[in-house]
Amino acid sequence: MSPLEEWIRQPASTVRCENDLKKVNRLFQDRGWSDGLPIIPPTPERVRDMLAYCDRPWDSSIGKVAPRYGEATPIRLAVNAVMAGCEPEYLPVLMAAVEAMCDPAFNLYALQATTHPCAPLLIVNGPIARELEINAGVNAFGQGRQANATIGRAVRLMLMNIGGGYPGTGDMATLGAPSKFSFCVAENEAESPWPSLSVERGFDEGISTVTVVGAEPPHNVNDHASSSGIGILKMIAGTMRTTGNNDIYNYQEGTYPQPLVVFGPEHAKSVSDDGYGKEAIRQYLFEHARVPLGEFSRENIDNRFSRRYGADAPADLQIPVFKRPQDLLIAVVGGPGKHSAVFPTFGATQAITRAISREDGRPALSIADLKAR
Amino acid sequence: MCEMRKRGVSAAVICSEPFVKLARAQARVFGVPDLALIVIPHPLGGLNIEGVASRAETANPQLQALIRQIAR
Repeated sequence: MSPLEEWIRQPASTVRCENDLKKVNRLFQDRGWSDGLPIIPPTPERVRDMLAYCDRPWDSSIGKVAPRYGEATPIRLAVNAVMAGCEPEYLPVLMAAVEAMCDPAFNLYALQATTHPCAPLLIVNGPIARELEINAGVNAFGQGRQANATIGRAVRLMLMNIGGGYPGTGDMATLGAPSKFSFCVAENEAESPWPSLSVERGFDEGISTVTVVGAEPPHNVNDHASSSGIGILKMIAGTMRTTGNNDIYNYQEGTYPQPLVVFGPEHAKSVSDDGYGKEAIRQYLFEHARVPLGEFSRENIDNRFSRRYGADAPADLQIPVFKRPQDLLIAVVGGPGKHSAVFPTFGATQAITRAISREDGRPALSIADLKAR
Repeated sequence: MCEMRKRGVSAAVICSEPFVKLARAQARVFGVPDLALIVIPHPLGGLNIEGVASRAETANPQLQALIRQIAR
């Protein structure tokens, strides 16, 4: 018997329940282990099967998940992945995402416990995203594809059951957001006129990565009228320019909010056809996604902005939504149509990208590379 | 605050009522389950100066009691 089998047989490793789907779900709801939707019961057999594409020890440490700082291990992730309805092939994506979320610069503690409605958004790049059929096209942020729905759901269940992000204790979101159920897409690299998010973030073409962004749900940019790139960018800047988003609120020294703009492929093409690369887009949006100081309430000006801009700053002073052009994140996602989206973030968080890798650190070129030995 | 307590420095966290569960859970995670909490009514954000003063009035006797306890 392998050590995993021994471990599973220990009474403390499992919870016994009558073999009845309704009763299992009642148990999980009552103990607070579910997101509210029915779960697939994580039986020892299913959890073992979920480790089929995990090439490292089942109990190795992937990171400590705030705010409880519970240890994320393949087997614990596998339990949550089974509950979420994942295929075993998805587990390596979940593992890379957890590794990224546990990077201190992501600031998971604050993202989990905050009153703000952020959630870790996963953007998957590279051949593995295509192999797993993670939706990058029509309705990518919406329903309909198992990989998007269940990988995102497994992230949430993991944040609760390993990280302790239970509503009212480890998760104090005032309103929350539907994106907290599941928030996972692939980049539409085939239709992007620009280098992909992962290439921009330093990974070679052909390397599969997961980028995590502590983001709000999408704020849509409907623009059926602009035929020029500059027209579309102007509309995007207008949608970014809001008083109540955390990025503009993040006035502390040393923090660099990284809002995300997701271009629909048609908008991306129009903007690119007019000669805009990502650098030019960032510069334009840095200059134009600004809110006049007078748009903020008196108390906000006095308590927040006067420290940075002085007590006598004029009402028409233009406050940038993000502090430096290079901080803006850009990706291309979605299908046909004249829409893009803006994602304000938690503010005090940095996006983190991790390659989907083998145990020896080499990037996996295919999920088959990760088959358990 | 937990780190300070572990180093032998007396410390307390000021916390509004809805956040008491989170604070207790965090104190346990960081190995100081008996960390003192000074509990004030919610909210703390968006208060005028009178509101802030009334929160201080709630906190003050708790702080004094804590100091007396330490002094004993």
